[in-house]
Amino acid sequence: MSISAPVVSAAERVDERKLVEGIQERFGPGVSISRGEGGISISIALHEAGLLPELSKCLFWEMGCSWGGFVAEEHESHWRLSYVFLASRLGWIEVLLHVPSGAHRIPSISSGVHAADWHEREVEDLFGLSFEGHPRLGDFILHDQVWPEGVAPHRKPHRKTMDVQQTHLRHRPNPDWRPLLVVQDPGAFAMPVGPVYEGGIGESLHFLLETVGEDVVRAIPRLFYNFRAVEKIAEGRSVPEGLLLAERFAATSAFAHSMGFASAIERLRNVEVPERAKRLRVVLAELERLRHHTATITDICGSTALAVAASQASIVEEELLRASCAFSGHRYLFGLNKVGGLSRDFGAMALGRLQRSVNEAAERLHVLEDRLYFTSSFLDRLEDAGVVIPEKARDLNLLGPVGRASGQGHDLRQECAYNEYETYEFEVPRESEGDGYARLRVLFQEAYQSARMITQAIDRLEAGPVLVPEDRGSSGVGMGWVEAPNGAALHWVRLDNSGRIERYHAMTPSFNNWLGFHVAVEEFAFQDFPIILATFGLSATECDR
Amino acid sequence: MSFWFWHGLKNGIRTTQYPVMPDLTVGVTPGRPVKTLFANSQEAERASGICPTGAIVSHGNESAVLLGNCVHCQRCRTSLPQAMDWREDYEWTIGGSDQKEFEALPGAYVRSTHIMVVDAGDCGACLREVKQLNNPFYNMHRLGLFLTATPRAADVLLVVGPVSENMRGPLLKTYEAMPTPKKVIAVGACAISGGVFGHTFMSAGGVGSVLPVDLKVPGDPPPPLAILHGLLVATGRKSPSREESVATVGASA
Amino acid sequence: MVLFFILALLGLVLCKLLGGHSSARALAILSSACSLLMMLSGGAILVGGHAVEIPLWNIAGMGALGLRLDMLSAIFLFTAGLVYLPVSLFAGNLARRRLYGDYPIRNYGMLHFALMISVVVLISADGALTFLIAWECMSILCYLLVNYEQSHRSDTRAAYILLAMGEAGFLAVVVAFLILGRGAADWSFAGLAAAAAQLSNKSAWAVFLLGFFGFGVKAGLVPVNFWLPRSYTAAPPIFVPVLAGVTLNLGFYGILRLNVQLAPPHDPAMGMLALVVGSVSALVGILYATTDNDMKTMLAHSSIENAGIIVTGIGAAMVFSASRDLVPAAIALVAALYHMVNHSVYKTLLFQGTGEIEATTGTREMDRLGGLVRVLPVVSVIFLVGCLSIAAVPPFNGFVSEWLTLQSLLRSAVLASPGVRILFALCGAALALTAALAVTCFVKVYAMSFLGIRRGNWHGHARERAHPPRAAMGYLAVACLLLGVLPTYVVPVLNLAVQPLTGASAAEALVPPFFTATAENRQLPPAFLEDFHNLGAQSGRSWIPGRGLVLLVRGSEQNPVVFAASPAYSLVALVIFLVVAWVVVSRATRKRTLARKELWAGGIPKLLPEMSYTATGFSNPVRVVFQAIFRPNIVEDTRETVAVHFRTAIHRRREETHLVDRLLFHPVGDAINWTARFLAGMHHGRLNAYVAYSVGFLLVLLLLFRLS
Repeated sequence: MSISAPVVSAAERVDERKLVEGIQERFGPGVSISRGEGGISISIALHEAGLLPELSKCLFWEMGCSWGGFVAEEHESHWRLSYVFLASRLGWIEVLLHVPSGAHRIPSISSGVHAADWHEREVEDLFGLSFEGHPRLGDFILHDQVWPEGVAPHRKPHRKTMDVQQTHLRHRPNPDWRPLLVVQDPGAFAMPVGPVYEGGIGESLHFLLETVGEDVVRAIPRLFYNFRAVEKIAEGRSVPEGLLLAERFAATSAFAHSMGFASAIERLRNVEVPERAKRLRVVLAELERLRHHTATITDICGSTALAVAASQASIVEEELLRASCAFSGHRYLFGLNKVGGLSRDFGAMALGRLQRSVNEAAERLHVLEDRLYFTSSFLDRLEDAGVVIPEKARDLNLLGPVGRASGQGHDLRQECAYNEYETYEFEVPRESEGDGYARLRVLFQEAYQSARMITQAIDRLEAGPVLVPEDRGSSGVGMGWVEAPNGAALHWVRLDNSGRIERYHAMTPSFNNWLGFHVAVEEFAFQDFPIILATFGLSATECDR
Repeated sequence: MSFWFWHGLKNGIRTTQYPVMPDLTVGVTPGRPVKTLFANSQEAERASGICPTGAIVSHGNESAVLLGNCVHCQRCRTSLPQAMDWREDYEWTIGGSDQKEFEALPGAYVRSTHIMVVDAGDCGACLREVKQLNNPFYNMHRLGLFLTATPRAADVLLVVGPVSENMRGPLLKTYEAMPTPKKVIAVGACAISGGVFGHTFMSAGGVGSVLPVDLKVPGDPPPPLAILHGLLVATGRKSPSREESVATVGASA
Repeated sequence: MVLFFILALLGLVLCKLLGGHSSARALAILSSACSLLMMLSGGAILVGGHAVEIPLWNIAGMGALGLRLDMLSAIFLFTAGLVYLPVSLFAGNLARRRLYGDYPIRNYGMLHFALMISVVVLISADGALTFLIAWECMSILCYLLVNYEQSHRSDTRAAYILLAMGEAGFLAVVVAFLILGRGAADWSFAGLAAAAAQLSNKSAWAVFLLGFFGFGVKAGLVPVNFWLPRSYTAAPPIFVPVLAGVTLNLGFYGILRLNVQLAPPHDPAMGMLALVVGSVSALVGILYATTDNDMKTMLAHSSIENAGIIVTGIGAAMVFSASRDLVPAAIALVAALYHMVNHSVYKTLLFQGTGEIEATTGTREMDRLGGLVRVLPVVSVIFLVGCLSIAAVPPFNGFVSEWLTLQSLLRSAVLASPGVRILFALCGAALALTAALAVTCFVKVYAMSFLGIRRGNWHGHARERAHPPRAAMGYLAVACLLLGVLPTYVVPVLNLAVQPLTGASAAEALVPPFFTATAENRQLPPAFLEDFHNLGAQSGRSWIPGRGLVLLVRGSEQNPVVFAASPAYSLVALVIFLVVAWVVVSRATRKRTLARKELWAGGIPKLLPEMSYTATGFSNPVRVVFQAIFRPNIVEDTRETVAVHFRTAIHRRREETHLVDRLLFHPVGDAINWTARFLAGMHHGRLNAYVAYSVGFLLVLLLLFRLS
């Protein structure tokens, strides 16, 4: 049994000139290419909506870009639709489309770019826009079984506290609702799991496992039980309040998301974060990644019922939580990011203690990893469980450790470096088998790399400020990106003239990867289901927002 | 496979002494702000203003803390010229409501309590802290606390999250499926007062709007020891904290 | 007896003459009367103890036709009457609710009575001629009746296969009789029995094989039974119980007459063949039953399984009697006959239940049923009795006969040859597996049809539900219970038929006289009696008539193990236990309040039918485990895609060829086709070649004559 050596991610560098010329050639008068704002490198404005599917397909498949996200904004007289792609080592490319307010039919791009499937469904549910050619709209965030049609809660007229008393009176179970099942076999049925997940402590998810009795043919997820309309709440709030919301919607990646939001505002206001703050941000982000991956490893061991390993891994997790608390005052690193830097500084003693804790944790993980790879009953359950082949991973744009285990080398720290990550020495592990065992290996390797980076960052620290003063007045658009523990996360913010948030959209890695889970994982035994879920390590609350 | 046994033994006993003795290890709790006397009333006003959820209430130059609203953003600690006083404890459980005293579970349930955990829109931190109760440090099994997967066998319903609208129905069904006697514990600031999400069309602003709550464990997230304290209060082995009451208004819309 | 014939003929005429509705009523009433007469005559003969003869006319050159009812015939007659009575009542019930379908009831009634007459003549035939004539009539009438609804069914192939197989079997039987009767004086059974003593070994084997497989067609044995599932599925609901409860038994009657009575086997190998064929039929039958979703087809496969069990008993009896172990032979034969009676009773019940379900919901697919216990409350209780009986759950009748069959296989300890003993052990294991699968199958049937959520879109009309066939089905349920609880009374009756066949008394062996034995009269060894008295085997002896209520199977001196079963006492004990438990529990929970809440399903708003287990899902493990036997061909797996990454529908179709088809008939068919194609090569149309053929043939003939 060999452990494959981590491979440096080699996402091909996209050549800017080739890209721009290629687009100009293909689409000529239908597009105008310019520099983007707020973090976007290239903005391609479309003059006719009909070109949208072609252009997206071209960018994703021929130009080798990967998918970022989709931001829909409602303005007075038009909709501003922004499709964000990432050109590796070049930057973000935005395809911009303005659609007049009355017209609600927009061509869907998901037949070409499959990863955009759920993004379009989300916009349809929350804004009421309809995408032509999309295979499956509806019953997404607002479950058809209980919500009536036409609610569109993210539209401007719908106030956040609108009908608070009426909401739960309005939505009632619809007795005629039937789940849309995929397997058409007279003996097939769909076993319901959740939303109060009967697996001990779990997040609220609902699955319909379609089966003909033994193997599960398809798992249909019905998520968004944790949907709290964070983006709607953020509208009209001040930036610090927005920062708090960004931190809190997915607290196990709290530091990463708050850093993403803060960097979006920093880019908007052209604020340069001090050096010390950047390095401390690296320390904290990698600390969070280390702890998050340890938590996922604990869950994997727990799901296979290898109780001792789960306990040992949870010891590491608890030690890391305590170290985080001793270092920053909070176990989950809440309240540290501010726009322009960090909210507090850290002394050398504290940094030294943190360094020791991290090294200890890494050592323990090494020992645990060795033991686990010698436990054949454990590996038996992980091998070939929930295999996602590299082609599918590319197709669905899987992010984070899940993507890396299936051959996708996306890592924003390398492809679109921030906080001077390009100056650090680290490797991004990559496997190609795509099964549970590959994902476990990737998690361990990434944890070690995080520990390595923490050491490097602490060594480089120099005295200096950690915060630059805030400038409250500016308006405009800013996009922040961060490699969260689960994958690439984008935070897109527009501030109005009074400096309040007009639109906030978070494109989270779990949102992307749940689509991958749903489409890629099929034909598995029912008993493997919790294990496959654990190896994916996805967070429903990060997806739901 | 026997090496797992030795591996476990080698790592020794990690379990905390709580509840027999208080646990003073660094890092078990983030602590909380407590009542502070400021230099003047402007400082106190500033403290109230900086709290995003209205947990700090100032009269004159004294600021009191409504712990049920505190979301641990730490701004009152890091962003004020005079930081609020901080205490590193964890026995925060608030019991009962305005109408009645809290009654613990009777007799046989004290040493064998089955807990049903429902995630009603939680951010993930509270749920993770509840999960830590099973790790070797806290080991709730030694106290007779067990997790159950079905409400039919549950005595205590532990709810985390502000009760998102999509989870309102399932949560109600879970509560109704539990046989009496049953206690409802709202864990976390979101479950008590809505936390940063407040009371909107998608968030009920706390479990109290949906179910009758018996105990509240404040914090965001409350550390495992605080949750453990809450569970011990539920079984009558500890008494609830009498310090602060809880505001019913959450973050402003 | 004569009264019976008069009534039957009257019924036949009346049905044809009267109009629709009165015709149906006449059918019901007269048919019930006839069946009662059948039961009475059978009973009278059994009680009376001697045979009844009715000679009919002579046919020149071929011999006399006559009827003779001996003990064996009496049992079959009684069983036939037992089945015909509820069938008639059921027909009457359907008539009352005007549910007899589109076909004209007049013709149906005519054929019904004709079949009844031919069955009675067959059972009481006293000579090969009468027997064969009646058999042929019965065969043709079956074909007509199975095909009765052909005007609105497209598939008439089922009946055609029935006819073809029936005729093939009949031909085999005719040849068997011819071989047997080569040296006989006349064609009566007595003459044939005398002639059988002089058969050479090869002729004996020929008679056995032809008779066994010839009758095996009607009896439903692998590999000649593939008409059975199709015909049962195609037959109208009034007629199916007759097929399963009466005509199936005729196959056993034939085997018993020809192969056990007239030409008793001297070679144990014959019995072993029967044993193996029986066990294999049982196993194959129940495997296909467990995985089938159409209720009628499933019951048909289950009939094959039960036929297999019966033939296993008969085969064991043949082996034992060939080895001169007469008492075990008698026990085995009693077990077989008992199982036959039981099967007739509960299979009729189940088929009637299925007919009722089909009338109410319009479907027989178990995947589309569910929740019928609320729609058909009376039928569901009675159907439950039927399911429990067929799954061999005490205290119902299936338990007793399966227990006896397995016990008779255990008696193989008395046999000398180890090879034979191993074979018995293997067949016993196969039967045990069959019994376990039968439980799975019928749990599935009951749970998926009656319990749970309604899965299909049917709505039971009040009209159909108005008058459930309580009398017809209830009577059968009561019979199931009685046959199960009182085996010690049934066994002596069956023994009357078995004793002449094997020469030993099973009743002596199986039913010890606990009630009449005392320490003084020494009917049983005193120590033995003492032990069993302490176990309560003599309870109730003062007021219950008969020999006892305990069935006992004793081993030999080398193996003195005793197996005892008493369904009557266990029923009493069960009732007492339930009552005590109920009292204790209601006392202990007096202070608790009972809260009725809705089903917990993880918090979803409502548990929908799509989310509940289907029959296919329930039986899928069996399908997967026995995949080598089923060898399904997943034909289509079309995935309709609207967008490439999003599949909206996955269609799957499984095609299965039956094991027997795959192993036997398809290769044979292919071989025949191949030969035919090869020979067809000769028909190429060239004149010269044809001339050459003629010349060649002539040369060969000349050569042969020259050589001989």
